[in-house]
Amino acid sequence: MRRTLPGAALTLAALLVASGCAEDAPPQAGGSTSTEGGGSTCGNEVTIDEVTSVGLAFDSGGRGDLSFNDATVAGLEQAQEEIGFEATELSPNADGSNRGDLLRQLADAGNNPIIGNGFQFSEDMDTVAAEYPDTQFIRIDGGPSDCANVAVLTFAEPQGSFLVGAAAALTSETGVVGYVGANTSELIEGFRAGYTQGAQAVNPDIEVLTATLEPGPEDGYNDPAAARVAAEAQIEQGADVLYHASGSSGVGVFEAAAAADVWGIGVDQDQYNTIGDPALAEHILTSMLKNLDAAVYESLTTIVEEGSVDSQNLTLAEDGVGYSTTGGFIDDLVPQLEEYKQQIVDGEIEVSATPAS
Amino acid sequence: MTVDTSERTAVPAAPRRRLSRGRVLLLSVAGVVLLLSLTRVVTGADVLTSSGTAGALLVLALPIALAGLGGLIAERAGVVNIGLEGMLILGTWGAGWAGFQWGPWAALLAAVVGGALGGLLHAVATVTFGVNHIISGVAINLLAAGFVRFLSELFLVGRSGGGATQSASIVGSVPRVSLPVLSSGPDLLGRLEATRVPVLADLGGLLGGLTRDVSVFQVAAVLLFPLVGWMLWRTRLGLRWRSSGEAPTAAETLGVDVVRIRYLAVTLSGALAGFGGLFLVLFAGRYIEGQTGGRGYIGLAAMIFGNWRPGGLLSGSLLFGFTDALRLRAPDAVIALLLLVAVVLLVLAVVSFVRHRRVATVLAGATGVVALLGWLLLDSLPLQVVATTPYIVTLVVLAVASQSLRPPRAAGLPYRRGQA
Repeated sequence: MRRTLPGAALTLAALLVASGCAEDAPPQAGGSTSTEGGGSTCGNEVTIDEVTSVGLAFDSGGRGDLSFNDATVAGLEQAQEEIGFEATELSPNADGSNRGDLLRQLADAGNNPIIGNGFQFSEDMDTVAAEYPDTQFIRIDGGPSDCANVAVLTFAEPQGSFLVGAAAALTSETGVVGYVGANTSELIEGFRAGYTQGAQAVNPDIEVLTATLEPGPEDGYNDPAAARVAAEAQIEQGADVLYHASGSSGVGVFEAAAAADVWGIGVDQDQYNTIGDPALAEHILTSMLKNLDAAVYESLTTIVEEGSVDSQNLTLAEDGVGYSTTGGFIDDLVPQLEEYKQQIVDGEIEVSATPAS
Repeated sequence: MTVDTSERTAVPAAPRRRLSRGRVLLLSVAGVVLLLSLTRVVTGADVLTSSGTAGALLVLALPIALAGLGGLIAERAGVVNIGLEGMLILGTWGAGWAGFQWGPWAALLAAVVGGALGGLLHAVATVTFGVNHIISGVAINLLAAGFVRFLSELFLVGRSGGGATQSASIVGSVPRVSLPVLSSGPDLLGRLEATRVPVLADLGGLLGGLTRDVSVFQVAAVLLFPLVGWMLWRTRLGLRWRSSGEAPTAAETLGVDVVRIRYLAVTLSGALAGFGGLFLVLFAGRYIEGQTGGRGYIGLAAMIFGNWRPGGLLSGSLLFGFTDALRLRAPDAVIALLLLVAVVLLVLAVVSFVRHRRVATVLAGATGVVALLGWLLLDSLPLQVVATTPYIVTLVVLAVASQSLRPPRAAGLPYRRGQA
């Protein structure tokens, strides 16, 4: 009996190592904005004559997450069809600790450019970019990089949130709208700020109820039960349109909205299409779109045309963010929303990225 | 919130005046309602005792409580089960996988089986192979988290819109019930709540919320607590069960099959945690990876808070659930909690003082005064503080009551058959 003990312990330990831990936050609707370590520049300005192989490292969730990663894949595949390159996709392990290794693996295989999907690549990508100074890296989301060979694509989420906030206020009959955010990180607060400003632009007296799932700047993307509790409370207080910036937790908001026959607003992707449940989709008024696919496609075609690509903040003007009309629930609001959009593009309305309160 | 410290296993030596179990329960419930009512009236935070809060409380507390109950029955048989989180995860995956195809009843079955398999693994490791309980439990937590991703890739991706990190929506619905007359139809409790009369309205709100439109699964889950209490302390099997956790070698000499009981206990423990996972999935409408969010660990904390007893465990879970519900439902009203905490701690301080326990008196008194000052001086509480409230209360309760808290004596200790 005694001899079996180390064997069993070893088996368990092996399983433990093999399995890892899957507590990572999914990348939808952001996460904490990263700060860059060190002020030194790294890497070289890269010029690519011909794009033959592109590497893509996914964020947690991998291909088939119906969200962030799948949107990037769509952009990649669209570019692949036109340009005709080899694409290599890699998924990080469940806790995302091997992101740096994935990038190295892709670089060693000669992929150029290499796309890292999600703000969580921030630090790893800068480290690897210094090790492979002649490879072009593209990061979706995250803070600015000091490396010359890292291009960061970011999105003006507050602007998109402004428009769905306006749509919410125009749709609301009670004068009360709700918002459920995953946490209090700068990025997520940007969604709230834009939404509130948009709602108030339509109706200065509107009441915007706010709930935050996690008190700190992290997590909150995987707790649909908490999101539903928060949403139900807001509905009880009269809210009839609810926006969420909480990744997978948002399902809870839609469940609450569907149960009470009020509206929910999606985020990142057109959730009317991705929610996968007609009963819920019928209660998704619109979605704040982050056009990842377009951004990836654009950056790849830019490399083909110009040989290099630069960091870019994609705003309403570049259609980097927007709103969806799928389902036809806001068709009659489109003229008004387009007007607001034009005003933002022209700079007549400035959307602040920090909430007033 | 009240920790019943009566020692049932000990034979009362002298006829001491002692309240019956029912009275203690009734008194503590009355005390809690009174306290909540007082806080509501003083602070004007109606949300404290609204039926909506009570409903949310049930939703948020049950997964914690069921995981805790799983931990309780395992530890009562002598096996520490820190793998509850992993079994909860297996339960959620099972519920999601079966639920989107065949509805909630299949989800129930799959959740329970999923959790039980996790428990069985823990039993094999700890009981048969004598692996350290903590190591095996931690391994199961990590294993489950990774294993469900693997399962999702195999069985969820592309099916009715499922993905690598989520299942499709659960189909069908669970039958829901209300108390006749009291919380449906004439809805007496609802009318009581609407009166806003102190105590009566609070009672109406809380009871109404807990009995209106609840699913039969929730009813069954709540009934499990008295059932487990009865089984452990009122039946022969329960006696054997607890003696396996208190003195397994002694039990063995008396003919108790400790190994079999421990297998049963740990497997059931996993099944209960899996059942807890079912509620998370049903409420959210689908399986989402990571949706357990550490509730299994909180269940363990609630179990310790409750002194390894179903009643205490349930109150601990309600405490965690209540803070959670309040934080999510009314972030502005949570400052009222401080007054509540202050009153509880000050009462605790007085009790400790009467019992001549100086350290406890000072500890509870000081924390109570800080809470009271906080309530008087602050306009709002940072969310971080709110989220930690139940943990602070648990710590204080543990510190104050540690002398009367007693885990099963043999829990976590190595045991081999035939060493008696």
